[in-house]
Amino acid sequence: MTTTHVLTVVLDDRLLTLNAAVGLLRRRNIPVRSVTLGPHVTEGRSRLSAMIETDPAAAKRVALLFEKLIGVEEARVMPAGQAVLRELALVHLRPPPDGYAELLDVLNLYHATVVEEGNDGLVVEISGPDTFVLSCLRAIERFGIHDVTRSGPVAVERAEQVSPTPSSEVPVR
Amino acid sequence: MTPGRPDALTPDTVTGAQLMCHLLEEQGVRTIFGYPGGAIMPFYHALPEFPELRHILVRHEQAAAHAADGYARATGRAGVCVATSGPGATNLVTGLATAYMDNSPVVAITGQVPRPMMGKDAFQETDIVGVALPITKWATVVEDISDLADVMRKAFVVAQEGRPGPVLVDVPKDVQNQKVAWTPGRPDAQSNVTEQPSVRASERQGVRTAAELIASAERPLILAGHGIILSGAADELMRFAEQTGIPVITTLLGISCFPEGHPLHLGMPGMHGEVHVNRAIQRADLLIAVGMRFDDRVTGNTAGFARHAKIIHIELDATEIGKNIRVDVPIVADARTALTALTALTAPRHCADWRTEIDSMRRPPDESFKGGIAPEVILRAIHDASGGRCNVVADVGQHQMWVAKHFPYRRLNTHFSSGGLGSMGFAVPAAIGVHVARPDEPVWAISGDGGFQMNMQEIATMVQERLPIKLAIFNNGYLGMVRQWQQFFHGRRYSATPIWSPDYVKLAEAYGIAGYRVEKAGQIGAAVDAALAYDGPALVEFVIEQEANVYPMIPPGATLSEIIESEPAPEPAPA
Repeated sequence: MTTTHVLTVVLDDRLLTLNAAVGLLRRRNIPVRSVTLGPHVTEGRSRLSAMIETDPAAAKRVALLFEKLIGVEEARVMPAGQAVLRELALVHLRPPPDGYAELLDVLNLYHATVVEEGNDGLVVEISGPDTFVLSCLRAIERFGIHDVTRSGPVAVERAEQVSPTPSSEVPVR
Repeated sequence: MTPGRPDALTPDTVTGAQLMCHLLEEQGVRTIFGYPGGAIMPFYHALPEFPELRHILVRHEQAAAHAADGYARATGRAGVCVATSGPGATNLVTGLATAYMDNSPVVAITGQVPRPMMGKDAFQETDIVGVALPITKWATVVEDISDLADVMRKAFVVAQEGRPGPVLVDVPKDVQNQKVAWTPGRPDAQSNVTEQPSVRASERQGVRTAAELIASAERPLILAGHGIILSGAADELMRFAEQTGIPVITTLLGISCFPEGHPLHLGMPGMHGEVHVNRAIQRADLLIAVGMRFDDRVTGNTAGFARHAKIIHIELDATEIGKNIRVDVPIVADARTALTALTALTAPRHCADWRTEIDSMRRPPDESFKGGIAPEVILRAIHDASGGRCNVVADVGQHQMWVAKHFPYRRLNTHFSSGGLGSMGFAVPAAIGVHVARPDEPVWAISGDGGFQMNMQEIATMVQERLPIKLAIFNNGYLGMVRQWQQFFHGRRYSATPIWSPDYVKLAEAYGIAGYRVEKAGQIGAAVDAALAYDGPALVEFVIEQEANVYPMIPPGATLSEIIESEPAPEPAPA
């Protein structure tokens, strides 16, 4: 059965390796919802997170295919429910003068932070699960969004649970 | 442009180009197949200083890649091809893709424009690494002379280890001209291609389960693929088959891993497999697949493939398990070690009833050539002329299937064919590589009139390099396999399949080689004998029936049960 899987790959930070990795995803004809790349804790390596829609066996095979790539150190795949997923959005807003106070209230509700204020508006940082970020974006839309950059979800496998219930998806500050 | 000679160098300082040659020697390379050009000129400048490296100048870079592939298939060691940047490099692509699909270890070395010019659409600049990524195990560019040795050594390791495949190393021209200290000698970073000593602990339960299934199966079959040849497991396969009495099916690339004529050998499965082979698969209650990947040409429609069978899949590459076919018992292991382990756990048995049942499914031989120049007669003559010692390199199309089905292969790894990619034009250049690997054995390249004309320029290479390869052309005046599909599935609309040929005997004469035309069945033996006896390359054109077909055939997308055994009634062409 097709479900969302999270693929995390540790690879060297050469663009050529990234090119090969993205090419592998493209070629296997599997729907890809997102691809995110960032530095790994080890210098010279990157970490790629991808959300793919496929069945568990094909997802496992994708991870094995990644491990065959020269330049890939490790590839893991897990159902989306077994990963902690977070996304960052930076939003440039141009609220009307009379909407400023209300906007700050909404941002507060979403634990969003104003990271910069200028003459032509303000830049806000929102982070959390992708649905949470989307919800926040919808809530502040009416205040006049000038530009948005979303990171796409980054993922890490869940810590072993004390109780069988997964932790809340609400971001912890 | 002509590069200036490198400055007088101290004994331990070499250019990148010289280092490339040293590294090829270090890897045990004796022959390279290539074609010079602007961005690879420093390499070719250095090459004469290394007389141990024989360079074979092909007439098109595609042939260099196919020749390296043929060499690799015949030896099990990496074949090397060299080309310049841009068109030289892109001409390698079909050969690399062929090697990739058939797991042949090829190392391709390409020149690249100098680093300061990269990315500026310089003359003959192509991002060949980007082009080659999906058709190689690894493709990389050497960014600095300090990386060159490591990259070259790693290229050979990657190409040859595990499941083999091609690697491309792109070397910018200025890197070839850079200077570096070099101490000859075999370093620690030598190829670490090692045999897996035993089945991994994680797979041992699979082996035990497989042995239990084998003991209880009533209708088991072995499906033996290219992995048997790649892992050197032919003896282990023979022991396993003879101990268990299980019949052996050989896939297209598995052909010659198990001797034809052995009582347990059944033949080839799939789209053009024998009727009794496909029926046996559909009747089987256990398939033991070894070193094969359930290609769609083997399985037909997977939904109807071997429905009654449990499937044991022995395969080195875990990504192949379950890719095309559900597998009941996966064993991720080298074919040789897995078969050894499995044989140790299985008791002798005979499968006599099952073998009798399969024998009852056999059909009399194809009679479509009765009285004419039959492929099986040609192939028998080629076999007999050399006392069975020859190597057969097939091209792609109808004749490829006849070569697969009718040649009596009794010697290990003597059949070469472009299976996965199905590259027309493969046979003639690949035969060059096979001949270089086995100079003391006859090598026949067998092509159709279509595929032969794709790379017939390589006759010149054979003449210049004194390679006495024998060329057989099955000339039916059509792109025969496509025409057959048009006949069966497109209402006989022979669109773009009639193909004119030159006078091949005159072509042979023009190249200064022996040429023979066979138009009657009675001429076959004499022509084959004369070609084989001729001291040099020789060509034999067999004028075969124009609308001969390959039977049986499973229509594309159908199951192995839906067999066409004779000419079907014409159907209207699809809208």
